[in-house]
Amino acid sequence: MGWELTEVPGNPTPSLQDSTVDVVAANIEPKLANALIRELSTICPLENLRHVKRVRRCTECGKSDLSIILCLSTGSQTCIKQLPGDVQKIVDTYQLSPFIVKVAKCSATSKEEWEEQCKLWPTSYHPAHNLDIIRGFRDDELPSIFNCMKTAIQLSKAGNAAIIVDPSSMQIIAKATDQTHKHDTSAEGNKLAEVKANDTFSLDESTENNGNLLRPSSRLSKCNSLNMEVSCINPLGWTKQRTTEQKPLPCEGCFAWHPLRHAAMVAIENAAERDRMLFPSSTPITMPDSNGNLEDYLDNEPAKRLKTDTKDKEQSTDESCCGDLSETTRPYLCTGFDIYLVWEPCAMCAMALVHQRFKRVFYAFRNPVTGALGGVYRLHGEKSLNHHYNVFQVSVPETYLNGLSDC
Amino acid sequence: MAAAVAFMERALEQAKFALDNLEVPVGCVIVEDGKLISSGSNRTNATRNATRHAEMEAIDVLLQEWQRMGFDQAQVAEKFAGCDLFVTCEPCIMCATALSILGIREVYFGCANDKFGGCGSIMSLHKGSTSDDLSGSQPPKPKGFKCTGGIMAEEAVALFRCFYEQGNPNAPRPHRPVRIPQQ
Repeated sequence: MGWELTEVPGNPTPSLQDSTVDVVAANIEPKLANALIRELSTICPLENLRHVKRVRRCTECGKSDLSIILCLSTGSQTCIKQLPGDVQKIVDTYQLSPFIVKVAKCSATSKEEWEEQCKLWPTSYHPAHNLDIIRGFRDDELPSIFNCMKTAIQLSKAGNAAIIVDPSSMQIIAKATDQTHKHDTSAEGNKLAEVKANDTFSLDESTENNGNLLRPSSRLSKCNSLNMEVSCINPLGWTKQRTTEQKPLPCEGCFAWHPLRHAAMVAIENAAERDRMLFPSSTPITMPDSNGNLEDYLDNEPAKRLKTDTKDKEQSTDESCCGDLSETTRPYLCTGFDIYLVWEPCAMCAMALVHQRFKRVFYAFRNPVTGALGGVYRLHGEKSLNHHYNVFQVSVPETYLNGLSDC
Repeated sequence: MAAAVAFMERALEQAKFALDNLEVPVGCVIVEDGKLISSGSNRTNATRNATRHAEMEAIDVLLQEWQRMGFDQAQVAEKFAGCDLFVTCEPCIMCATALSILGIREVYFGCANDKFGGCGSIMSLHKGSTSDDLSGSQPPKPKGFKCTGGIMAEEAVALFRCFYEQGNPNAPRPHRPVRIPQQ
């Protein structure tokens, strides 16, 4: 298995129980199939079930059985006895024994859904035409997406790692690892990306430094089993540690350890720090040089009115033209940025990513314990939120993980 | 209840402080043994970090102080288990998860948060996990906390109204328009 990218849908795939219809079917002799398909498609076309295949082949014990859908069921078992006249004629002619079976009501929107549907009765699956828009990424982006995930995996030692990337330039904005346990503040990885011009954090950097980043322990087993060192997976893990920091803390805002400093939270903090450094405040009191985030607690009626007031909108556009150019190009929080996480985030981190306005979230490994983006919850499908990002799972080939641990 | 109102008034003072600093007006206080030990107000604009909600600010004050006092993780966990939070607006999904990770005892909030609320409005993270795996193959999950809403909710909403009426000069352009008074 190679590198693969799969979108994690925001809405749970409706359980097939809720999205099936009953049809009347019957087993048939294979040699009758062609004739029956032709006849039935005239007298009883399955208008609203075009995705459902008329015939099913079941192979059991080396012998295959064919079944064909005769018509829609009207509901109860008794309907078998009251089939439409033309259908009844076919049943009588070929001495069929009709039975009721469930088929998927709607055509599948993903390969996974389609595979589920086919367990009931085969359906056809046509991926949407405009794949880029549906999928949220372009095919030519895939190598760099996989590269970013490699960088994140190499950065993660015991716990999770996060890398914030500006996809327009493939520049790393910030990176971080879990800091819930005692940590060395100078630890590799827990820094914001260099912010000086011409000194872009190259994505190749991590591959050059492979020797430093790799650990002798088996990464493969860590990734495939439940990694208790990942803060999002084991959020109470911090209470089991024992660190008494006797030295005075080095600075205001520094912590010897911090129960909430999961990789994603630290990465956001590093990105915010970078933003403050790149665009330092120039007009502090009346117009603090910072981006608003007014909807992050409540979205009241007056705010909605403001949003639709086009006259005001013009005014603010005019105003921004007079400002410093660098100020107008400054991104609003992490708008337009991607974040790569080795492990699926918990609800705290996933909501933080909503607040900070990320565009896409990529993770490699599911978090079946507290995962908020598919593992347990699907936060990104929550309609009430004022911002939504797309979520993707990157499947990492075992050979890659093996290669890492062998070094 | 009288005590709860008194602490909520202190949280509202924090929210007003945020409003004066052109921040979304949310404030909170943390109380231990009937004594106010920490307070915080929303600082998302000043920090350009949208996770710096009032709760996070107040929590960090305590973590730093307790670490300075030489407490280890177990002692800090024990301290949080004896603390209550009073916050003017229902904790969001992020903060509610954070509070359950810390193991805070009880949360009192003002108005509900029907966009992001993590204590009943959108998700119910205060209820903790009901499906704890006893076999030990899975890590323990946060157990949640008791939660009471609606304390001085009108005052909290009035502050939000003030904030939205004055407009947010820091909103991204041109996405959210700003009302600039004519000079």
